[in-house]
Amino acid sequence: MKAKVAIVGSGPSGCYAAQALLKAAPDLQVDIIDALPVPFGLVRYGVASDHQGTKAVSRQFSRIFERQGAGFFGNVRIGQDISLATLRSAYDAVILAAGLSADRKLGIPGDTLPGVYGSAALTRALHEHPEADALPDLGSAPVIVGNGNVAIDLLRVLAKTADELHGSDLGPGPTAWLAANRFETLTVIGRSPAGKAKFDPVMVRELAKLTNVTIDVAGVHSSEDEEERKRLEALSEIHGHAKGSTRIIFRFGLQLRSVEGTDRVSGLKVASAEGEEIIPASSILTAIGFQSSGDFDREALLSAAEPDASGKLAENLFAAGWFWRGPRGTIPDSRTEAQALATRLLEEISPNPDREGSHIFAGLRDVVDYTGWQKIDSAELAAAAPNRCRQKLAGKNELLRVAGEQETNS
Amino acid sequence: MKIDVLFGTETGNAEMLAEDIQSALESEHDVTCRDLADVDPAELDGESFAVIVCSTYGEGELPSSARPFAEKLDAGSYDLSALRFAMFGLGDAEYSKTFTHGSKTLAEKLQAKGAVQVGERVTHDASSGDAPEDVALPWITDIVAQVA
Repeated sequence: MKAKVAIVGSGPSGCYAAQALLKAAPDLQVDIIDALPVPFGLVRYGVASDHQGTKAVSRQFSRIFERQGAGFFGNVRIGQDISLATLRSAYDAVILAAGLSADRKLGIPGDTLPGVYGSAALTRALHEHPEADALPDLGSAPVIVGNGNVAIDLLRVLAKTADELHGSDLGPGPTAWLAANRFETLTVIGRSPAGKAKFDPVMVRELAKLTNVTIDVAGVHSSEDEEERKRLEALSEIHGHAKGSTRIIFRFGLQLRSVEGTDRVSGLKVASAEGEEIIPASSILTAIGFQSSGDFDREALLSAAEPDASGKLAENLFAAGWFWRGPRGTIPDSRTEAQALATRLLEEISPNPDREGSHIFAGLRDVVDYTGWQKIDSAELAAAAPNRCRQKLAGKNELLRVAGEQETNS
Repeated sequence: MKIDVLFGTETGNAEMLAEDIQSALESEHDVTCRDLADVDPAELDGESFAVIVCSTYGEGELPSSARPFAEKLDAGSYDLSALRFAMFGLGDAEYSKTFTHGSKTLAEKLQAKGAVQVGERVTHDASSGDAPEDVALPWITDIVAQVA
């Protein structure tokens, strides 16, 4: 008898979980549910528009639906359209792979002033996420707070010229927004010393390809630690890169004191061994980590989890990816974890024929199935401008309209 | 002919291509497909022709599933002179300095133990927009025709 598994979230952790489950148990019925009308989550809306090579994993994920038999139920928000309890009663096991999509706040005075933007929110706007806010005015001197790859992605895209975005999938709106910006400085601030920064050296070195920037790195120290040395070497290499007018400044080891400004951000007060100073800022972009969007009570779910039970939250309820382990680790990390989770889940699952499975979605409006996604995908590829690999359909209504189009015989 | 398709992967992209190569060859040949993580260098006795698909990770490093194999290869005194292999590399030309260095490193390590590479190492660029199978399948069809 076929056991039924529902996976909430079609980003990398959900897709890798489905892939691993179906590889180990090809007869399993796996249904992947997403709050958005389109699949692939972070790969589509989080990975930078100029990192198409990283997005290539979506070719694997497509095969989960096209060859391994998984079902896709897009535009279904669990917790709103269907309760988690209903989903759990309809499937033999449920995996929560909803990620962590909300920005962590700075947690210092002034962090709610206009002009402070989370990198997740800004990234969604750049990538035309259907629920994104409008792209804000960042002014001429944005300050990016954070030392992870997210901060570097944001920095790189803001610093790119129009030519440097050829081959990306950055949409016409965000492209025009970027071209209209005139950044004099882009300052990146890290709270830890340079050697303890979290970005990958390869991401730092990529900045040396930028054609319209001058790079100034302050605070490179020496270190005995090999990992730290690799990072410091990369920072030393890009220091002094002088190709253009936008000035990129890296500063490390600064304690954040307060966001300055009366009705809008004007600066960031920081402290170091040299004392306090105010770094002028036309806007502040926070890239200091992610937290749950609030669709699920993640804290309560995690606190009920068995200690040391990798990914098991409760009977027949599992979690994967960032939703499980927090905002750390890469796309391939979630692949490795998914394989362990699949093994564990398959040991425990026992199929119950009375469970309804995907019939619970039958009464919902505007559910997008995989065929609907394929229509969106084809439309987006066909609409791509000559210097773009795709033009995303912007807005939920447009996505739903194209997904619902009838086939025409021509 | 017996063909052993081996893959070294980080994201699973090399595994997917290895499976495509297996599918393309298995109507005419006896083909297995395995993760390098499950392979001991001593097994590579040359009875099968090895087709290796290997990606690159980080700054030109071997992908995680190829690392234990490469470490064993480096540490042991293997004689792989009976082994003939073909190497396909996956990479991202956005990172031009280290593009497909994983597959390059692995080919060199095998050759250092006497294995003989057949044909050129061919590579695919993930940023190119081409499907890797469109590059790899004509390549491997040619190579297999040479070897068989």
